[in-house]
Order: sequence, then C-alpha cells, then structure tokens
Amino acid sequence: MASTNGETDQVLVEERSCGRIFMLNRPKQLNALSSVMVSRLLELFLSCAEDSSVKFIIVKGKGRAFCAGGDVAAVVHDINRGYWKSGAEYFRKEFTLNYVIATYSKPQVSILNGIVMGGGAGVSVHGRFRIATEKSLFAMPETALGLFPDIGASYFLSRLPGFFGEYVGLTGARLDGTEMLACGLSTHFVQSESLPLLEEALVKAATSDPMVISSIIEGFSHAPNLKKNSAYHRLDVINKCFSRRTVEDIIEALERVSADMKDDWISSTVQSLKKASPTSLKISLRSIREGRLQGIGKCLVREFRMVCHVMLGEVSKDFVEGCRAILVDKDRNPKWAPSKLESISDEMVDRYFSKVDDADWEDLKLPVNSRLPAYAIAKL
Amino acid sequence: MENANFRTQILTRHLQNHAVDSSSGAAVSRAPCLSYAPPEASASFDVSSMRKLMDGHNLGERDWLFNLMAQSKLFNPRLRGGKVFVAPDYNQSMEQQREMTMKRIQYLLDRGVFEGWMTGTGSEAEMRKLALLEVITIFDHSLAIKIGVHFFLWGGAIQFFGTKRHHDKWLRATETYLMKGCFAMTELGHGSNVRGIETITTYDPRTEEFIINTPCESAQKYWIGGAANHATHTVVFSQLNIEGKNEGVHAFITQIRDADGNICPNIRIADCGHKIGLNGVDNGRIWFDNVRIPRENILNSVADVSSDGKYLSAIKDADQRFGAFMAPLTSGRVTIAVSAVYMAKMSLAIAIRYSLTRRAFSITPNGAEVLLLDYPSHQRRLLPLLAKTYAMSFAGNYLKLLYVRRTPQLIKTLHVVSSGLKAALTWHNMRTLQECREACGGQGLKTENRIGQLKAEYDVQSTFEGDNNVLMQQVSKALLAEYVATKRKNKPFKELGLEHMNKPSPTIPSQLSSSIVHSSQFQNDIFCLRERDLLNRFAAEVSKYQAQGESKESAFNASYQLAEDLGRAFTDLAILQTFVEAENSASDASLKNVLSLVRSMYVLVTLDEDPAFLRYGYLTTENAAVVRKEVANLCSEIRPHALALVDSFGIPDAFLSPIAFDWVAANAWSASQD
Repeated sequence: MASTNGETDQVLVEERSCGRIFMLNRPKQLNALSSVMVSRLLELFLSCAEDSSVKFIIVKGKGRAFCAGGDVAAVVHDINRGYWKSGAEYFRKEFTLNYVIATYSKPQVSILNGIVMGGGAGVSVHGRFRIATEKSLFAMPETALGLFPDIGASYFLSRLPGFFGEYVGLTGARLDGTEMLACGLSTHFVQSESLPLLEEALVKAATSDPMVISSIIEGFSHAPNLKKNSAYHRLDVINKCFSRRTVEDIIEALERVSADMKDDWISSTVQSLKKASPTSLKISLRSIREGRLQGIGKCLVREFRMVCHVMLGEVSKDFVEGCRAILVDKDRNPKWAPSKLESISDEMVDRYFSKVDDADWEDLKLPVNSRLPAYAIAKL
Repeated sequence: MENANFRTQILTRHLQNHAVDSSSGAAVSRAPCLSYAPPEASASFDVSSMRKLMDGHNLGERDWLFNLMAQSKLFNPRLRGGKVFVAPDYNQSMEQQREMTMKRIQYLLDRGVFEGWMTGTGSEAEMRKLALLEVITIFDHSLAIKIGVHFFLWGGAIQFFGTKRHHDKWLRATETYLMKGCFAMTELGHGSNVRGIETITTYDPRTEEFIINTPCESAQKYWIGGAANHATHTVVFSQLNIEGKNEGVHAFITQIRDADGNICPNIRIADCGHKIGLNGVDNGRIWFDNVRIPRENILNSVADVSSDGKYLSAIKDADQRFGAFMAPLTSGRVTIAVSAVYMAKMSLAIAIRYSLTRRAFSITPNGAEVLLLDYPSHQRRLLPLLAKTYAMSFAGNYLKLLYVRRTPQLIKTLHVVSSGLKAALTWHNMRTLQECREACGGQGLKTENRIGQLKAEYDVQSTFEGDNNVLMQQVSKALLAEYVATKRKNKPFKELGLEHMNKPSPTIPSQLSSSIVHSSQFQNDIFCLRERDLLNRFAAEVSKYQAQGESKESAFNASYQLAEDLGRAFTDLAILQTFVEAENSASDASLKNVLSLVRSMYVLVTLDEDPAFLRYGYLTTENAAVVRKEVANLCSEIRPHALALVDSFGIPDAFLSPIAFDWVAANAWSASQD
C-alpha cells in the first residue's frame, strides 16, 4: 500500500495496483467539500484519465460521512464580505468536477457508507457505480438553506422514476440506502461489513470493464427490503402531486389528498415545503423541469447561472439567511424574503435563469474531451 | 479490386487519424473505426431568446407538459445510445394504438393538462390551450387529433353554436371527459362541399323531437374521428327540413353510445379501417335511422325551431347562416397550420443534427471524410427549408393571435389567412419531411428516427379541414371579390393586406445586386408586385370569360392557373410580413442579424423556386441568376448557425430521435443485446 499524501491532506490517495482510491478526509466537517478538496479532486480525476495504468477509481469518505455537501459556510462568509465572485469561482470549479465525473471514461465506484448530501451527491451520483449501505443517508437539503439542488442535481433528480426527483429535491427528504437503491440513486446495496472485502476484490480484478466490475459488486450485494413507512411506497401520491405545474399546485394537490385521509407522511411533506425558502422552491422546480429535457452539460451551465444569481441576492437573499439560521446561529428559524410563494412572479424566477449582468462574468465553460463521446452520457 | 483497396485505405485512415488526432500525446485506446463526434456548438446568438421568439408564449406550460410525457411509461420511453427517447410504438396494431391514445388522454387529464380548456375564458386560456396542443402534437399526431376532435370540434361546436343551456350541460362535462365527443360533418359523398350533405332532419311538433335520418349510402357520416370506438356523443350536421322547406345545414347533439360503450338504438356505426397513418384515431362511419332527439338538442345560436315547429333565425340570408356554421372550422385550420410547422421543425432538427455528425467521402487523398452539411448541395437541400420553416413559424404565431383576438370585423381576414396558411404550411411540411427523410439516407427509413413515419402521420393535413387546393382557390376568390367590390365603389383597398395596391406599382431595379436583394424593401416590393400583377391578370381573365358568356363560377374554374399563382403570392407575402414584424420585435442585435439572413433566404429561395417570377417577368433572366447565386451564398452564411437555429425550436432531445445524437452508440452491438 503506497500513500502519496500525508495524513493532513484533505483528499487521501491510495494506489492499489490499477486502482486509485480517493478518500475524502475532513471527518470533523463530515467531509464537506472545501475549495482545496474540489481542486485536488479535479486534478486527480484529470490526471488519472490520462494515466493508462489507472483502470478504475474508488471514492469514499473517512468517518461517518461520505460527504455532507459543499462548503457553503465558506461561500456565505465570502458573500458577507462582498466577495460573491470567489464563491462563483468555487462553484465553477465544483461544477466542472461534476461534469468531468459525469463524462468520465473509467469506472468510478463510490462507496456511500454514511451521509451523502448536496455536493457529496455531485462527486458520486454522476459516476458509474454507487454503492449504498445500511448506514447511507441521502438528502438534497438545499431548499431549506435558501439554495437549490445544484451540482448537476437537475439532471439526475429529474431522471428518477416518475416525479420522485421533484419530491426529493423540493422537500429535502432523507433517503436510506434501500430507498437509494430502489429509486436508482445507488446502483448496488452492500452491507458495510463487506466493504473491505469488496475493495480487495476490485483491486485484485484490476479491470476497467464495467460489466466485470458490476458482477464483482453484485457478488457482495443483496436485495434489502424497503422499510414499511418508506416514501417510495407512496410513489403514486408523489406522481400525482409532484407532477403539478407549479409549487402552489403541488402543495394544493398534497393538501387535497390529505383532506381525504389523515396521513403523517403527507403532513410532514407539506410541512417541509412550507418551511423551505419559497424562492428556492420555485427556482428548484423550474430547474428540475428544465433539466429533464437537457443533457448534463446544459444542466450545469444553467445551475451555474442560477447559483451566481443566488449569491448576488438581487431577487432574494434567502441563501445568506438560510445559512445563518441553519449553520451559523442554528436557531432553525429563517426569515425568508419574499415570504410567500404567491409574491414571487415568473419574472423574478426568470432572473435566476438569465446571464449575469457583469462585465467579468462568464457562463460556465465545460472542458472538451476529444476522446470521449463528449455528448454527456447518463450513467444513471 | 480497386474499390476494395480504396475501402481498405479509408478504413486504415480512420484508425490512424484517431491516434494522430490526440493532441495530448497520451496513449489512446484504439477506437474501432468511426466514432461519434457531437456537432460543434457555435451559437452566435442566445438560443433561449430565440426559442422565446419562436414558441412565442406559454413556455413554462410547454416544458411542464414535455416533462409529464417524458416521465411516464405510457409514452413509450426507450433507451438508445445513452439517451431516452419517447415516441409512440407504431408497430402496435390499430386497436392497440387506439387504446394507448385513450390511456394517454386519461393520464394527461389526471394531471390537469385540460383544466380550463372548455371553461376557461379570455385569450390567455386560449393561448395556453394552443400551446399545450402543440406540445402534444410533437409527441404524436393521433393523440393531438383525438384531443382536438373532442375539445376543438365537439367542444367548439357546443361553444359557438350552442347557447347557455348547452354550455351549462356540456362544457364542464367535456373538460373532465365525463363524455367523449365527436363531430359528424363529412359524408361519403360530401367532404369539402359541406353545403351538399344529404343527412336530413325533420321536426315532429307532437313529441317536440327532431328526427335525424341518413337517407342513402352516400349520406353516411364518414371519417368521424372518435366514432369507431370511443365517442358517446356527436354533433351531427344535417339539412334541416321544416314544413317542407329546406333551411340549410344545422347542427344537433346526438348521443351515439351509452356510458358502457353500447351503441344507441337506431344508430349504426362501422369502422373506417386501417389508414396510412394516424391509426391511433378511431375514425368511423355513422348511419342515423330516424333517430329522435329532444328539441333542445339543436345548437341554436344561429337558428332555432319553436316548440310548435316554426323556423326562427336572426340571420335571414342562408349563405350568411352557413358561414356562421363554418366558423369553428377556423380553429382546426389554425391548429393544423401550426402543428405542420412543428413537424417541419422536428424533421429539420433531426436531419440537420445528423448532417453535422455524419460524414461521407473525402475530397482530398488521405483527408477526413466531409460532414454532410459541409457539402454546398446538402446545405441547399436543408437550409432553405429551415429558413421557410422560420418564416412559417412566425406566420403561425400571427395566425394564432388573429384567431384568439378575432372580432366580427376580422372574420373574413381570418378565414382567408387561415385558409392560405393552412395550405401553404402543410404543403411545406410534407415537402420538408420528404427532403429530410432523404437527407438522412438509410437512417431516415427507420421508424425510430421519426421523419419517415411522420410523412404517413401528417399526410392527412393537406386534406382535412378543407382540401388544400380548395382552400387556395378560396383565397383567390376572396381576393377577387375584394378587388371587384373595391373597384366598383372606386375606393381604396383596405382589407386582406391589399393596401399596397393603392400605391403606385413598385419598380424592381433593372440590375440586381447582392446588397439590393438583401434589403427588406426590395423583398417586400417584389412580393407585392407579384400579388398585384397576378390579381389584375386574374380579374381580367375572369371578366374576359364572363364577357364571352360564361358564368362567374365557370369563368373562375377556367382561370385556375392564375388562381393558383395568386393564392401562393398572397400567402408568401403574408408570411414575409409576419417575419418582418417578428424580426422587429427581437430586442437583441445578434438575434436580428441571424434573422435577417434567414429572412433573405426565405425570400430569395421563393424567387428562385416559383416560376411565376420569370413567367410574368418580375425577374429578368439575368436577375434570376443573381438571385440564384445569392441563395448559394446565403447557404454558406447560414451554415455556421444551423445547429443553434434548430436548437431554438425548443423541442427537447427526448422528442427527437437517436440519429440526432450519438447514432454510433445507439447502433452498437451491445445496444442490440438489451
């Protein structure tokens, strides 16, 4: 076992014959992606793409989290000091990494043995294999933070069965490993105790053939049962309500269903929608709907525009407020402005999807990789 | 043998090129022969702004509906080359396709797509309805027609011919599909000539009932969409005979099936059978055997019958009454014209994307093969059609607004414009589909690539809601009537866009140049000149025949050649004017720039293709040569914008086809093993 990095590095790299294992190493911060980590991962992915001795990549996290998301606290800190552009640079780099992963030619196996949220999904779900365990906990909690599901989530959420992606993206619902497998966010389910043996088997096989890798993982997998109160059992209600055109219509449809029958799941779903930032809900829904009709590249370009507008705060400053309430003061009582869905017009939503009016600002430019079928290939 | 060697060389070159192309210098795994390279993105303008201009309205609703369809198994999603495509399964039997159409309607109904389609009021509700129908038509013509018959024909008849009692009873029920409606107008013996239908209705004052009867086989109702399997109610068009006097064509509501789908007494229904396309619509034939319906079932906004059997109508003139009955057919022509443009868009998006990724033949030894769209001849095949499609898309938007904002004063204009545009746009679509099919070569023959199948699905558009040739003659007839009336009154022209005839005839420069032919002044002038001259010639010819003792009708029939040329001249000019308006409304300079190229292409290719310009001397042979050369120049000028221009159509990838994207992956061996 050769370690090329010191223990203090935020990404540990292990070379195991033809495999490379990247371990996210900020356990105290639940491996939240710092700017340094994003740069390092981008560099690693790009160099491994060129290195013919590398056959596959494993990504995992140290401690109880795979990765709890992007380092939004740092971004908000920058915004508060008036440096939204350094936040923009962070997202530019992060989204580029998401794109490189989504169009990567070598198989990536992500071991999601713990918390996977926001940016954590961005460095795993776009890859070929995603292994969930009994410890997995997935969520896209952005609407509660005044943000929206970014990192290419409008691409992969919109491709979940029916309208489950709208449900996950708008409510921030938490999914366990079994639910991740059921909806396709993960490709396999493996008990965490088998993970070391699985890693050994992959290293030993030393192959880049996705069929072979898939069958190796299958050898350690089993089919878990959905818990009785899983949201996935409610797919029919979700499809009926979350397919509605607007956020208001979705909430109305949910309330209509709950009027017919008392149901804790529906009331908590409505509750989480009512607690989320109204602006976030509206732009998130539109982003997922547009994402369903676009490739991953276009999704990331759009999300980059959106995140820049979120940071600029011209329509709403909910991102700063949400981070204050959830991450800084932790009073969990954000004061959203605008506070009501009906006071957010279509024109206000449109703003988030337009180019940023700033001489130095540019749309996200995605790397062109001539040897790939650069047309963004879905791995989900 | 030489051929075989050549082939080997080419193959070797592909393999070598691949290794040499890699600028990074790193080792490259050998790709087997050709690999797919996506079309280069080089948008010189903002595609989403262009889409806004093209689609015009309700973009959020459109995308929502695309989402609804893309996300349901009912819409037959298939994974091809790493992407999901939705399209109907045309390999299903006629019966299966019809059942799928109904299931899809139910799905859309459950999700609120049709909310406000009958009960909504105002132009906003109408525009929303039109936008959603356009999206539906992009998925499947059968689905759009089945929905169109129920809402626009049945529902439209209730709205326009009915009064409060009908509205209260039927509008909400129609919107929620408590019943399914159809529209029984055409008969075996009478299609375009509705006035000649033979179904007869009489009134029985003792029971206060109408009695509808099919007196002979040629009077059977024919092609009635929805009648063969599903419809429970119909609007029947019939001659109304009161006290021995024929009052002309009137409309009546008749139930034809009960809620369980059993055919009602004294009604006979047969299937029209398998068709060349549109098999998801159950066209049927209906016979009425003295069917009795209550008196209140007459749609009485135009005319009524009192309980004691007296005929009552505010409109005394039978011709005007008939005209009032034809009004709802306008909505059909509007939706047909607009959907034809969307099909042209779809086929061009597919064929142009393919032509930007498919190569054929090298032009230098050892050179890479050439992209199809880099051949000037291929550009000439597709790019003028692209320009015409842009022009007609703007015309379609104009027609929709004209329809939605119609007033009694605008009815004549609406009738003439919708007739001309319906014919022009649907003919253009069929021509575009054929060219795009051929431009895709063998791939165009695969049903999954859509274009070939669309030819069969959309062929009907040149016939239904008015045969295209008949409609074009109506345009010329209307222009002639306007001409004669205006001349008789010795007043200036002020309708049907003929105002330009009040001015002196425009002069065309004797020596055309590139800059002249690009100017919108010249473009407008030459289209006006053609219309004005043809109208003068047409009027002169008709009156010449009349002077020889022919009736007006036979004089008109004899002048059919000029009538045809004039109809085209009128629609081409109307289209150009809507283009100019759209161009002026674009805010962005980069949009305006590319639109002016496209507009010039539209005009110049029309000059190049319509022999009327040479035949009547609007262009000298020298000037025709200048025009022709400029068309070729414009092809190369538009070529860099081709991808962005088709991306602006706003049709999501999933609704196009595999050859529009990675067709190598879509056809890989591994893909055939799933």
